Amino acid sequence: MLELIDITKKFKQTEAVKNMNMYIGRGEIVGLLGPNGAGKSTAISMLSSLVEPTSGDVKFQNKSIIKNPQSLRKIIGIVPQEIALYEDLSAEENMKFFGRIYGLKGQKLQEKVNEVLEHIGLTERRKDIVKKFSGGMKRRLNIGVAMLHDPEILVMDEPTVGIDPQSRNYILQTVKRLNEERQMTVLYTSHYMEEVEYLCDRIYIMDKGNLIASGTKDEIKQILSLENTISIKADYWNEDFIEKLREHPQVNRMNIEEKEIVLVVSKNVNIFSEIAHLAEVMNVPLRSLDVKKVTLEDVFLHLTGRALRD
Amino acid sequence: MKGIFLARLTSFFRSPGTFLLFTGMSIVFTLILGGVGGYDKITVPVSGDESLQTEFIGEALEESDVYNFKWQEVEDLKETIRRGNAEAGVILKENGYEMIVGIDSSNVQMIEQTVADIYVNKIQEENISELLRTENEEEREELLMAYQEAKENPVFGITNRTFHSSDAFIFDRSLHSIFGFTLFFVIYTICYTVLPIFTQKGNGVWDRMILSPLKKSEMYIGNLIYSFFEGYLQILVIFFVFRYLVGFDFNGELPGILLIMAVYSFAIVSLAIFITSVVKNIQQFNAALPILSVSMAMIGGAFWPIEIVQSEFLLTLSKINPLTYGMEALNGLVLYNQPIQELLKPISILILMGVIFMGVGIHLMERRHI
Ligand SMILES: Nc1ncnc2c1ncn2[C@@H]1O[C@H](COP(=O)(O)OP(=O)(O)OP(=O)(O)O)[C@@H](O)[C@H]1O
Ligand SMILES: [Mg+2]
Repeated sequence: MLELIDITKKFKQTEAVKNMNMYIGRGEIVGLLGPNGAGKSTAISMLSSLVEPTSGDVKFQNKSIIKNPQSLRKIIGIVPQEIALYEDLSAEENMKFFGRIYGLKGQKLQEKVNEVLEHIGLTERRKDIVKKFSGGMKRRLNIGVAMLHDPEILVMDEPTVGIDPQSRNYILQTVKRLNEERQMTVLYTSHYMEEVEYLCDRIYIMDKGNLIASGTKDEIKQILSLENTISIKADYWNEDFIEKLREHPQVNRMNIEEKEIVLVVSKNVNIFSEIAHLAEVMNVPLRSLDVKKVTLEDVFLHLTGRALRD
Repeated sequence: MKGIFLARLTSFFRSPGTFLLFTGMSIVFTLILGGVGGYDKITVPVSGDESLQTEFIGEALEESDVYNFKWQEVEDLKETIRRGNAEAGVILKENGYEMIVGIDSSNVQMIEQTVADIYVNKIQEENISELLRTENEEEREELLMAYQEAKENPVFGITNRTFHSSDAFIFDRSLHSIFGFTLFFVIYTICYTVLPIFTQKGNGVWDRMILSPLKKSEMYIGNLIYSFFEGYLQILVIFFVFRYLVGFDFNGELPGILLIMAVYSFAIVSLAIFITSVVKNIQQFNAALPILSVSMAMIGGAFWPIEIVQSEFLLTLSKINPLTYGMEALNGLVLYNQPIQELLKPISILILMGVIFMGVGIHLMERRHI
């Protein structure tokens, strides 16, 4: 239904998106994953006709929308990465403002506003000024405002950044419900793997302007079928231990965090005993040693040699 | 468009801080630095017969807004001028006057003008009253002719100076302060109402509007009309305070002043759009605004008369400064009583500047966003 065809976007110094292809079908929830600066926001701005690509084409129902975006604009709703609201207006006033610019008015507008407020759980706070809202409430309103005109496609740019787990779950459930109840098509951008794993049917992964993987969750995890991921947990590390692991011929990649090291090793290699031995010699107080279930996070590590978030 | 305006208006009522701050500053600064209220007139000694003092001439002199004419004996008058306590004095006679000039300042010409005007008026008055008293048709005709003649060829040689083209200038500290501070502080108010366009472009409100059926032009017009409204409201508040609370009468030119102010506000809204279109972030905006507005005020003559600015370079710069033309038009109207043709020059320059800044500003904004 909506696709990016060989899209490139250059800013003065940076090439934010390079030769990207993407397809979103009706009724799908598609995830777009990538670390900060990957080019996600730029990609979806082009997808939603807000930014013109330097080269390539954007098609909606097989028609280019770069010059004639009206058909798409009518049915798309966007949730910008920032809080895109009038801070000095109340929740309800914001809703009414954004509803009115879509031509809603009177009774119909009021009904729609009530319905969406209910959806995002802000009915009781409707009269409060946005400035005084918590981060999570602002986020919820930010999403609600995009749904007033019943968009067929909802594009969400990191809608859950910086909010508490409850609000986040609430938002995720809302998105899922909208998709199930109304067949709303959703493009969900995030750098949280868990969210994308929970929500999405298909996933695109970007890094530094490039699309580095795409497919269903299972397809993407298949990428790792030739390798195993091992998690080592301990209270602290020492340099020698890390150095030894790094030099180990069977270790393909590793990611080091304060209390966990994730190793990607070739399949069918058993280096458990070796690691345990090393830890003992080097005085690393091991807590656990597991083979991990493959997650998208691991795929990202596999593809880029870096963790998704710093 | 209406929606945008109303949303901005509601936001304004919720947090009117900036507006109140700058409106208050304009008024307070004017009261403190402009000496409005007990403002001082220039004292000019005059002398002449007792009869002149109580009749037409004396009454007319009393009415001057700018000069305080003080009756003295001829000897005292000359002494005052000799000692340099007054720039010039006037010895009044029934059918003419004599200027005693101490320092040949620009004020001297102004004083002479004031006095000369009074004599012309006096003669006209006399002729008219004469005319009305006469019954005879023929005589009336004759008098009418005489009146016209008197009007065209006054008994004493007066050349009507246009102060605009000579070096002469009038400086009225109170008026100047009201104009200057109003023009200056409204720059801030207006710029801070245009800034939200910039922030809305950053935070996605603008994107939301672009995706909606709203037209781009409506988005700009809604916001810019609002900016104009808030800036102009500030001006109205200031001038109504001075007119009706302080009792300053602006030589009866308030409507004209407010008209000029409307044109000036338009030019500043455009300037604000232009500034917003060239800054990269809010910090730059916050840094640029005071630098720009203060230099505009200094070289445009908001803080002191532009006539004391001497540097060629600064004078050239002042030519691209809307504030210069705002001051010029206001002074022309209120102090120099210029005819409308004279005022049209600064006013049309302001309109032209407004159109250019607006065009370039919006163009830059649009280009940068893509
Ligand atoms: N308007 C712009 N002008 C210049 N460079 C830009 C602009 N917008 C984005 N970029 C650059 O393009 C690259 C991709 O930015 P983008 O915002 O698309 O990343 P992102 O994946 O959304 O990151 P984040 O997770 O931080 O939101 C960055 O290097 C950014 O600096
Ligand atoms: Mg982004």
